[in-house]
Amino acid sequence: MSLQLSAFLTLLVLSLAVPTILFLLLRTSLIDLLRRTLKVQAGITFYSRSFLLILFLSALSAAIGTTFDLKQDSRFMEYVWKGAEGVSSTLERTLWFVAVYVVLITILVATLKVKDDE
Amino acid sequence: MTNERYLVASYFVGVTLAVGLGTIVYLFLRHPFGSLADSVSRKRRSSTLKRLFPLGLLFPALLGFVSVSYQSCTRHTYEEIVQNRSYLVEKNQQQISSVLLHILFAVLFWDVIVFLILKYGRKGRNESHLPTVDD
Repeated sequence: MSLQLSAFLTLLVLSLAVPTILFLLLRTSLIDLLRRTLKVQAGITFYSRSFLLILFLSALSAAIGTTFDLKQDSRFMEYVWKGAEGVSSTLERTLWFVAVYVVLITILVATLKVKDDE
Repeated sequence: MTNERYLVASYFVGVTLAVGLGTIVYLFLRHPFGSLADSVSRKRRSSTLKRLFPLGLLFPALLGFVSVSYQSCTRHTYEEIVQNRSYLVEKNQQQISSVLLHILFAVLFWDVIVFLILKYGRKGRNESHLPTVDD
């Protein structure tokens, strides 16, 4: 296996690990929050599934977009640097989209909670 | 395989992949979205939303794929494009990345739609026939 392909596969594995860990960490609290706000099972399922999709799609779109266009005689550390660049863009994109999702959920919770209280 | 054949094969595999990814995301969200759309007061609006939902995921996926151009600042002609295999692979990666990103925007868009359904479209919690968490 070429160094280029190994570097790309490593980046892909890392970019799958990040959303998996994030989802496992946040899933229970998110479902609890949605359960208290929505009280409709379909809504809870929809928003928890869309959170999973947002995490994976954002991470994978950044990771797959990273190209290891290095020269044939490139050294090992050059691949590591390029991989780190890919991890950086993966984390950045995931962070931005999670932020958008959090804003959306905050608006949802604030609005529907007010409606319930009334 | 020549670069020209690779270009043709990868292009059609890419289209299939874009449609496939859009379909997978649709199937993943179909049931909860359908149940929520049913909570909209008018039956006609509910069925319109359910029909629009697959289109709202498949079109962005295809849009993401076709939005990547093979022509760039350094490569204008067909011969220049098919000259280098690594350039073609790079474009394929860009296409898949763009497909995923467009589906992501579509999912966020539908999240907003569901929010609007929950806020304005409900029959009222007491009248709703949706299964609640307490059930």
